[in-house]
Amino acid sequence: MYPGVWTTYILILFFSWLLVLSVFGCTPGTAWTVVNLFHFAITYHFFHWKKGTPFADDQGMYNGLTWWEQMDNGKQLTRNRKFLIVVPVVLYLIALHTTDYQQPMLFLNTLAVSVLVVAKLPNMHKVRIFGINAEN
Amino acid sequence: MVRLPYTTALTTLFSYGLLFAFGQLRDFFRKFVDWFKAKNVKGYAPICLGLEDFYVRRLYLRIQDCFGRPIASAPDSWFDVVERISNDNNKTLQRTSHTTRCLNLGSYNYLGFAAADEYCTPRAIESLKKYSASTCSVRVDGGTTKLHAELEELVARFVGKPAAILFGMGYVTNSAIIPCLIGKGGLIISDSLNHNSIVNGARGSGATVRVFQHNSPAHLEEVLREQIAGGQPRTHRPWKKIIVIVEGIYSMEGELCKLPEIIAVCKKYKAYTYLDEAHSIGAVGQSGRGVCELLGVDPADVDIMMGTFTKSFGSCGGYIAASKDIIQHLKHTCPAHLYATSMSPPAVQQVISAIKVILGEDGSNRGAQKLAHIRENSNFFRSELKKMGFEVLGDNDSPVMPIMLYNPAKIPAFSRECLRQKVAVVTVAFPATPLLLARARICISASHTREDLVTALDVISRVGDLVGIKYFPAEPPKIAEVGHNKLE
Repeated sequence: MYPGVWTTYILILFFSWLLVLSVFGCTPGTAWTVVNLFHFAITYHFFHWKKGTPFADDQGMYNGLTWWEQMDNGKQLTRNRKFLIVVPVVLYLIALHTTDYQQPMLFLNTLAVSVLVVAKLPNMHKVRIFGINAEN
Repeated sequence: MVRLPYTTALTTLFSYGLLFAFGQLRDFFRKFVDWFKAKNVKGYAPICLGLEDFYVRRLYLRIQDCFGRPIASAPDSWFDVVERISNDNNKTLQRTSHTTRCLNLGSYNYLGFAAADEYCTPRAIESLKKYSASTCSVRVDGGTTKLHAELEELVARFVGKPAAILFGMGYVTNSAIIPCLIGKGGLIISDSLNHNSIVNGARGSGATVRVFQHNSPAHLEEVLREQIAGGQPRTHRPWKKIIVIVEGIYSMEGELCKLPEIIAVCKKYKAYTYLDEAHSIGAVGQSGRGVCELLGVDPADVDIMMGTFTKSFGSCGGYIAASKDIIQHLKHTCPAHLYATSMSPPAVQQVISAIKVILGEDGSNRGAQKLAHIRENSNFFRSELKKMGFEVLGDNDSPVMPIMLYNPAKIPAFSRECLRQKVAVVTVAFPATPLLLARARICISASHTREDLVTALDVISRVGDLVGIKYFPAEPPKIAEVGHNKLE
C-alpha cells in the first residue's frame, strides 16, 4: 500500500551488514551470520510473538492475532507475505555462501531459517504449538 | 492509492522505523525499571495492555506540545496562545500565565464571524439577556424558542430546501441522523475520505457500508452496479434503500467534491444523496450558499443537505435541510432531537445574524464583501505558496489548504518554529491522515488582511527552507517587462 516498504527493508538489512562489519571487524561471512541471527530474533519477536496493534482505536479486536496473522487482513499468500517468506531464505543462502558452509554457522543459520519459514506457512495461521503465546 | 515521491517515501518509512525502534527499546527498559513497582490489583483485567497505547505513549506524547494548544482570546485573525512548559520531557504540560499574540491560520473562521462583529455581537448579547445561556430543556419539551423556529426557516431558505432541523453539535448531526435514515437491509456508499462523524453514523446504523475511491464518479458507478446486481449479502434480496454520502469540501484535502457527476450517477441508479457541507456552507459560492451554488447543482437534486454552524457562522451546532416529509420523520425519530438539550439561544441568534449579514438582509453589503475577501485571500495564498515550491493540496476557491510535510520529524519542527515566529498553524498526522502523508493545514479567513497574509507567507517560506518541505521547484522571479520590450 505504501511505496518503498520492501526497498526500505532490504536497505536496512544491507546497511546493518555494513555496520556489523565496521564495528566488529570480522569476516563478511560472520557479519552475514550475525545479521541473519539478529534478523531472526527481531522478526520473530515482532511478527510471530507480539500480538494486537499499537493503537487503541480498534478496541482490542486483534488482541489474539500476531502481526503476521493480521497482515493483509488475514489473506494468505499475498505478494507481501511471499516477499517476506523469500527474504529469510535469501539471507540464509547469502550467509551460507559467504561462510563456505562451515559448522557452527551452518547449524545456527539453518535453525533460524527453518523456524522463520515454518512460522510463516499458511497452515500455521492461528496455530499455537503447546499453547505457547496463546493468552491475550 | 498513496501518491508521494519515492525517496520521500523511503526516508519517511525510515524515520518511522527509527521512532518505532527507540520506542520499543524504551518500553523494554521500562519493564525492568517498573518490575519492583508491581501494583497489587489481583483479579482485575488491565484497563489497557502495554502495547495498545504504544503509538500514543512513544510517538504522540513526544510532540504533544504541537497539539491542543490552549488559547486565551477569541479566535480572530490574531489571537493569544497560552505558553506551556514541560518538566518531564513532554509527558505532561503545564500552562504558564504568559500568552503570545500569534497570527491565526488554524481556526475555522472562514467569514470572520469568530470575533466580535458589529451586527452579530449586540444581538447575541441581547438574546443572552432575554433567553439566558441555556434552554435547560429538550427540543420537544420546552426547549424550542422563537429563535429556534426562526433559524430553521432561515436555514431552509438560505440553503434552498423546503425545511430544516437544528442540532446542538455538528458531530452529533451526522452520527445521530444517519441511523434514523437507514437501517439493516440498506446500503451506505461513502467516500473513502469521509469524516469520522459520518463513519461513526454509518457504523451505528447497522446498514451495510461500502466505500468508493475518493472523488471518483467512475468508481462510484462501478460500486453501485456491483452492489445493486448482488443485492443484500447472503440473501441477495434487493436493497431496501441506497444512500451515497459525500462531503462538499474535504477538510484534510481542501478538494471540492465532483458533485454534478456524482449526482448524475446517483440519479441514474436511483440512489439517495447526502451532502455534508460542513466546510463549504457560507464559505464558497457566489452568495455563500455552498458547493451547490459553486458547481451549478440544483439543491432539489440533493436529497439531504447537512451542514454545521461552527465554520462560517462563528457559532456551534449543525443542521439538516431536506424535504418537509424527511424533516418531519427526523423530528419524530432522531434521538438528538428527542433527548438532547437544544441549542443555546445566544448561539442560535449568532447564526441568525450571521446568515442575515451574508444574505445582505442587515442592510449593508458586508456579506458580499466578506465572500469576495475570502475568495481573493484563498486564491492569493494558494498561488503564492505554490510559487514558492510547497506542495499544496486542494482546488482553487477552497479556503482550506494542506501543505504536505510527510516526514514525522518535520511536524514538530514546522509547528514549533512557526510558533516561535508568532504564526500558529495546525499540523495533522496519523491517524487523521494516512501514515506517510502528514500535513500542516491552513484555514484562510475573510478577516485576514493582505499584510497578514504576506507576513504569514514570509514566515512559512523561511520555516519551509529550514525544515526542507519545498518539494517542488520554486518559480523564478519574473524579469521586468520593460527590459523585455527594450531588447526588441
